[in-house]
Amino acid sequence: MTKPKGNKDCEAPSEQVRKDSIEGVKVALSRTKTWGGMETREFYSSPHIDSDPYHAKNGEPGQYPYTRGIRPSLYRKRMWTLRNIVGYGSPEDTCEGIREALRAGTAGINVVIDALSQQSIDPDHPAFGVEVGAEGCSLPSARDMQRLLGDIDITRSGVAFHSTMMTYPLVAAAAIRQGKALDRIMGSHMPDHLQLNLSGWGNELVPADLCHKTSVDCIEYCIRNSPKWALGFPQGYDLRERGLPPHGEIAVGMAIVNKTLEDLLERGLSIDEVAPNLAWVSSADIDFFEEVAKFRALRRLWARTMKERFGARNERSMALRIACHTAGNSLVYQQPLNNLARAAIESLAALCGGVQSLETCTYDEPVCIPTAEARELATRTQQILANEVGAARTADPLGGSYYVEALTDRIEEEARATLSKLEEIGLLEAISNGTIEQICDQYNMDVERELQQHERVIVGVNAHQPEQVEQPERFTFDRSHTEAHIRRFIQMKRERNQEALHDRIITLYQVAKQGGNFHQAMIDALLSDGSIGEVWGTVRVAHGYSYDPFNVIQTPFVYGA
Amino acid sequence: MSQLADKAKGDKLVGEVLAGSIRTASRLISRAEACDSSITPILKQLFCKAGDPVLLGITGPPGAGKSTLVNQLIQHYRKHDKCVAVLAVDPSSPFSGGAILGDRVRMNQHAADPGVFIRSMASRGQLGGLAKATGDALSILQAMNFDVIILETVGVGQSEVEIVRHASSVLVLQMPGAGDGVQSVKAGILEIGDIYAVNKSDLPGADKLVTSLREMLQLSSKMHPWLPPVVAIQANTGAGIDRLVQHIGEHRDSIRSGGEVHASRARERVRYRVVEICRQLLNESVFSGAGVTDTQLSAIANHQQDPYTLAEKLVGVL
Amino acid sequence: MSDLSSPADRASPTIRCLLGMLGTDVHNKGIRTLAQMLRDHGIEIIYLGEHNTCEGMTQAIIAEDADLVGLSYSSSNYLDYTRQLIDTMREQGVGDVPVMLGGLIHPEDSDALRQMGVSGIFGPGSKIEDILDFIHRAVGRADEPAR
Ligand SMILES: Nc1nc2c(ncn2[C@@H]2O[C@H](COP(=O)(O)OP(=O)(O)OP(=O)(O)O)[C@@H](O)[C@H]2O)c(=O)[nH]1
Ligand SMILES: [Mg+2]
Repeated sequence: MTKPKGNKDCEAPSEQVRKDSIEGVKVALSRTKTWGGMETREFYSSPHIDSDPYHAKNGEPGQYPYTRGIRPSLYRKRMWTLRNIVGYGSPEDTCEGIREALRAGTAGINVVIDALSQQSIDPDHPAFGVEVGAEGCSLPSARDMQRLLGDIDITRSGVAFHSTMMTYPLVAAAAIRQGKALDRIMGSHMPDHLQLNLSGWGNELVPADLCHKTSVDCIEYCIRNSPKWALGFPQGYDLRERGLPPHGEIAVGMAIVNKTLEDLLERGLSIDEVAPNLAWVSSADIDFFEEVAKFRALRRLWARTMKERFGARNERSMALRIACHTAGNSLVYQQPLNNLARAAIESLAALCGGVQSLETCTYDEPVCIPTAEARELATRTQQILANEVGAARTADPLGGSYYVEALTDRIEEEARATLSKLEEIGLLEAISNGTIEQICDQYNMDVERELQQHERVIVGVNAHQPEQVEQPERFTFDRSHTEAHIRRFIQMKRERNQEALHDRIITLYQVAKQGGNFHQAMIDALLSDGSIGEVWGTVRVAHGYSYDPFNVIQTPFVYGA
Repeated sequence: MSQLADKAKGDKLVGEVLAGSIRTASRLISRAEACDSSITPILKQLFCKAGDPVLLGITGPPGAGKSTLVNQLIQHYRKHDKCVAVLAVDPSSPFSGGAILGDRVRMNQHAADPGVFIRSMASRGQLGGLAKATGDALSILQAMNFDVIILETVGVGQSEVEIVRHASSVLVLQMPGAGDGVQSVKAGILEIGDIYAVNKSDLPGADKLVTSLREMLQLSSKMHPWLPPVVAIQANTGAGIDRLVQHIGEHRDSIRSGGEVHASRARERVRYRVVEICRQLLNESVFSGAGVTDTQLSAIANHQQDPYTLAEKLVGVL
Repeated sequence: MSDLSSPADRASPTIRCLLGMLGTDVHNKGIRTLAQMLRDHGIEIIYLGEHNTCEGMTQAIIAEDADLVGLSYSSSNYLDYTRQLIDTMREQGVGDVPVMLGGLIHPEDSDALRQMGVSGIFGPGSKIEDILDFIHRAVGRADEPAR
C-alpha cells in the first residue's frame, strides 16, 4: 500500500493504546489481544494465497480490489472517525453545540443544517417561518457561516457538513473573509445533488439536469481550488432511507458516480485527481451480514470500475473510503430503548465492513431531535465496540465466511444488473421519468405489505409490542436566538451595498446562463452579502426555472434580456 | 321536497357557477362523477350559458410531459391575465377502482392562484383516455368565464379518440423514445391532432422525431385547410412554449373564421355528446329498474324472451 | 350485479382523499406508500406531494371537492402547520372537511391536535385497516348533499 501524502496518521505506531493526534480522544484501539488474552493478527487469510481463486478475486486487506478493506492493518493504523451530529437554531447555537461536543471529546463533528437552508430558502421566506432552525442550523449567508465556524481555523481542523446545496460556496466565502487560502481549507460536504432529487425533493425543487450540472461544477471547483476538501459523493445514505436495498444503493450510487466522473474527465480533470477525494456516504441497516457484505461488494465494484472503466492508476482512486451512518429508518418509535441494540449492531456491521468514519444514530431519533443524553449513549456505543468488542482489532473479520462471501458476490451481481439497466436508459432520464422512483416505491410497498402480512417482523412494530412505554424526554431549545437571527438577516439584506450585490448577481446570472461553471460567481455574490435564496434563485432563473421553487416570492433582481 | 324548492335551489347553484364559484362548480362535478341525474336541470341551464373559451385537449403517451406542459401553459396564459381551467384525467385501477391522481403535483405552483381551477378526475372505467363525467364537467366550466380550458387525457399512447369528441383543438404530445422516430409514432395519432409537440427536446432523437412527424403529416393531411404544425418544446423549462401558444391561437382563429371542416367537426362533437347522454339515460333506467321488471329479466335469463326486443322497446320509450 | 352500478354509486360515491405534505419536509416515503395502499382499497387519491403551502392546499381541497385530507409529517413543526392549515380551511369555508395526520406524531400532542380539529391521528405503527376504517367513518359523517 502506498502511503497517502502527508498523512501522519499512517505513520503512527501500530501498538496498543494510541491516541489519534488530529482527531482527539474518541475511539482508540486499546488492545489487540482477545478479551480472553490471545494475541491476534492484523488480518487472517488463506494459507495458499497464490493458488487460491478466492484471493485473486478479493485480494488481501489493502490490496486491489480492496474487497477486504483499504489497508492491511485497517484500524490498527488509523482508527475510524467517530462522528456526532450537531446543529440547531441560529449559527451561534450550533457553534456552542460544536464547542460542547469538542469539550466532551468528540473528534468528528457533522454539522446538520435546517431544511430551509438545505433547500436554499431564506429564513425570511413568508411561507416557512416556523421551520427556521428547527431541525438543524439556519445558515443563509456567508456571515452566518462565519458565525458558525466561530474561532475554528478551517485550515487546521475540518468540519464535516451533512449538506449539499450551497455548502461549499458558503464555506469558501467564510474562509476568504477569514483571510484563509482556499487551497488550504479542510473539511467536507456532500455535493450529490442528484440524490436530493431522488430523496423526496423532486423536480420542482431540484430539476435533474440542474442537479447534475451543479454537482459537476461543484466537484470541479473543489478539486481545482480546494484539494484538501473532501467530498462525500455519492450520498448513498439518503437513497437507502428513501427506499432501496443494499444492492440498489450500490447501483444508483455508482450510476451517479459514473455519469459525474465522465463529465468531469471531459472537463480535463484526470480520474486520479478526482477519485481520491471522494468518499461514499453509506448506511448500515439492521441486517448485519448483508450490510457487511454490501461494504465489501461496494469496494470491489468501485475498485474495478475506477481501474477498468476510468483507467485509474493511483491506488487511492481505487481504494474506496466509506463514511457511514447507521440507518435512521431502521429505528422505531415503539419502545425506543430497543434502538440502542439496533444502532449498536449496525455500527458493528459498519466496522466489520471496514468503514472510515461512523456516526451512530441516537436511540431517540424516531421520537425527537436527539437529546444530549441520547447523543452521549451513541458515543458510548462506539467506545464499547472499539474497546470491549474488539471491532478495531482485525481487518475484514468475516472474510472467508461462506455466508458473507456468497452474499458479497450476490450483492455485486445484483448491483451490476440494476446499474446496467439504469445506464441503458440514461441516468438523468431514469431519474426524470420516474424509473428510480418506481424502484424505491415498489421496494417500500413490498416492505409494507410484508409487515402487514408478518412476513417481516420488526419488534415493537408488528410483533412483541410493549404494554406501556414511557416516551423519552423531547429535545427543546430556546428559540429566541433564532428569532434574533432572522431579524439580523433581514437587516443585513437592507443594509448591504445593493449595487455591488446587484452587479455580482448579474454576473452570476450570465455565467450560469452561458453554461459556465458558476461556483466562483456564487462565492463572489455571497461575499457581497447575497443570501443563499438569492444566489441559488438566480442560478435557477438562469436555467429556465422559477426563482422560488415554491412560487411564493419573486426575484428582487432585474436580470435583463 | 317540493319541485319549487328544488328549482329555487337549482337556480341558486346556477347563479353561483355563473358568478365563478369554484366551490359550487367542484361540487357539481363530483355529482356528475357520481352519475347523479338530479343535477341535469342545472346542467341544461349552464350549457346554454357557455362562453367561448379555447378548449384545448392534450394527449400523449404516459410520461410524455403532458402535466408539465399544462403547467407551462397555465403560466403563460396567466401572464396575459387569462383565467385557466384544467381537467386532468388519470387512470383508475381496474382491480380496486381506486386511483392516484398525480397530474396536479406538476401544476402545484398555481395552487393558490384564484384565476386557475385545476380538477383531477379518475377515468373510472371509461376507455379512451377521459372520464365519464368529462362532458358534464365541461358544460360547467364553459359557463364560468374561463378564457382557456385544458383537458389532459390519461397517457395511453394510442387511440385517444375520445379527446377529439370533447376538445376543439387537440394537441398531441410526443417524446423521443428508444429506437427509430417513425416507429415510435403510434398509428392513429396522425389523424387526431391539430397541433403536434415533441417534448423533451433536450433528449437525443427529438429533432429526428420532429422531422419525421412533419413528413408523415404532410402525406396524411393534404385535403385539410389546416396543416398541423410540429413544435419542439422543453416542458420543464418552458422552451418553445411561446411558439406552441401561437399555434394554439392560430388554430383557434382558423376555427373562428369558419369553414365547413370546423363546423362539421363541431356538429360531430355534439352528436357524440347526445349519444353519450342517451347511453347514460338508458343505462340508468335499465339498472334503476324503472324500465325493466324482474319478471322480464327472468324470462330473458331463461331464454323464453330475447334481450333484443326488450332493448328495442326501451329505446322506443325514450 | 345491478347494485354495483349507478344507484348504489350514488349512495356511497367513490371516496376522494387528498394527500400531501406541508412545508419543506422531504420525507415522502410514508405518504407515497399510503397513497398506493389506499388506491388498492378503492380510494381515489388526489396526490399533492411535498412542499405545499397552507394556502395552496386549501385551494386544492376546494377545487378537488375532497372528502377528506391526509397530511404526513416527519418533522417537528406539525402543530404549527396543522393549525395554519385548519385556520385557512375555515376561512375559506371548507373547515368541515375531515383532516387526518400521519407520520411522527407524538401521543402527547394528540389532545392539542384534536382541539384544533384534527379527527384522525395515525402515528408510527398504524395499521392500514384502522386508517381505512377511519376514512369510511369520517366520510360517512361528512357526506352531505351539495349544500
Ligand atoms: N428531460 C425532460 N424531462 C421532462 C420534460 N418535460 C417533462 N419532463 C419530465 O418528464 C416526467 C413526466 O412528466 P409529466 O408531466 O408527469 O408527464 P405526463 O405525460 O403528464 O405523465 P402521465 O400523466 O403520468 O401520463 C417528469 O419527471 C418531468 O419532469 C422535458 O422537456 N425534458
Ligand atoms: Mg400527467
